[in-house]
Amino acid sequence: MTPTAPINLHDPQSFGSGIPHEAFAEMRANPGLTWTPPSDDTKGFWSVTRHDDLVTVSRDTTTYSSGVGHIQIYDIDEDALEARASMIDMDPPIHTRLRRLVSSAFTPRHVQNYKTSIRHRVQTRLDAVEAAGGGNWVDLVAKPIPIGVICDLMGVPPEDHDYLIGLTDHLVAGTGSETLEPTAYGNTTPLRLLPFNSPAAFAMSNYAAELGERRRVDPQDDLISKLIAAEIDGERLSTDEFANFFRLMIFAGNETTRSSMAHLALHLRQFPEMFEAVRADRSLLGAVADEVIRYASSILYFRRTVTVPTTLAGTDLAVGDKVVMWYCSANFDESEFPNPYEFRIDRPPVPPHVAFGGGGAHFCLGASLARLEISELIDEILDRELALEVGEPTYTESNFVNGIEQLEVTVL
Amino acid sequence: MSDPALNDPTELVQLAVDQDACIGAGQCEMLEAETFLLDDDTGIAALTGAGTLPRQRAEDVVDRCPARAISMVDQDDGAGG
Repeated sequence: MTPTAPINLHDPQSFGSGIPHEAFAEMRANPGLTWTPPSDDTKGFWSVTRHDDLVTVSRDTTTYSSGVGHIQIYDIDEDALEARASMIDMDPPIHTRLRRLVSSAFTPRHVQNYKTSIRHRVQTRLDAVEAAGGGNWVDLVAKPIPIGVICDLMGVPPEDHDYLIGLTDHLVAGTGSETLEPTAYGNTTPLRLLPFNSPAAFAMSNYAAELGERRRVDPQDDLISKLIAAEIDGERLSTDEFANFFRLMIFAGNETTRSSMAHLALHLRQFPEMFEAVRADRSLLGAVADEVIRYASSILYFRRTVTVPTTLAGTDLAVGDKVVMWYCSANFDESEFPNPYEFRIDRPPVPPHVAFGGGGAHFCLGASLARLEISELIDEILDRELALEVGEPTYTESNFVNGIEQLEVTVL
Repeated sequence: MSDPALNDPTELVQLAVDQDACIGAGQCEMLEAETFLLDDDTGIAALTGAGTLPRQRAEDVVDRCPARAISMVDQDDGAGG
């Protein structure tokens, strides 16, 4: 008998108190994959909850496609898939050609070039926290640092950073249960053609096109200038391809690290002895950053669609079946991570957590940048001996991102 | 028959990078900065120096590569590991 999910995984409210760990532990213990039956707004889907199964799906882009069907649980029409597509919605080899346009900017060594400016951003934000005696950690620290860093890389002028924060907030709202105003930002595109069904995507595309044109005329040393001039098989990116690429970079570079930085404040409260150990030995900064990233699991899932009949974990899968990789479950798989709910700074490099994906073509492009940003934030907190009283979080209502909206802190 | 010497975690093994498969994720450079280098322009990994690591560390870096682009070269017959 096929096991079915103990909670409604398609309902954002199921994630309203954070990751529903008990339900995922139950699913990991089930034989095979766990089924969620069809509902009003989606076909049924299979959940992959164990680490080894998730890695299998993630690495096999031929059997489990990103380019066929949507990478979110809900389905969208073919024309909408086409209109929204960025490299995250594509399979190799085209995916890889696009990725290589920008990947050299994100290597572990290259991101060290941004270290000083990241540290400066971190210091400015922690100064603000200290000056105010506390406040909403998300607004004061977690939001402005990553958006500032990715905007700098892309070449977005500083005066536009707040505008882009607003747009990315509204993008994510499209994954929750909130109703979106179709004409917001002067949108004229049917919502179903927009990423996350969000009018903010329309605004972001317009912004990208306008900035891209400025950089085409007057190139700078930034990624926008690189992308606008790039050629794939002798062809430039179309206006839509460029806008979709821009939106992906802004969203992915922003929302994920923001979430990890928000969760970091909770970890400081819950696991102070781990951070004391890092204070004494800063060579552990990388390890603690990775544990923050695992524990936060800021992207909860991505979906793939089956392209050939196959069997996974004993479950037979048919062409067109939806397979959902729950990173937030595999990262707490007790068979790979002993005592998974403990926050540890001595976890070995293998197996890796899957907060950057389970491997394969779509492994997080910004992994090294995210690690650096989070390490710099932790290092600065420890240098200052910043002591915080941390309140209870208000989670983002979304089954896609493990975001925190509000987290009050008081400087002690 | 398994040879116990093959499982010696300190034995040096030769590594190889499949540059067509590499996606520039940089996990190798992060783990073993003395052995791997990602090209400044292309972001593609290459070996530096001899390209050898003790077996345990070699296995870890092979496992960490998200693109499965790193392999251990079997010194007996030259085939990829």
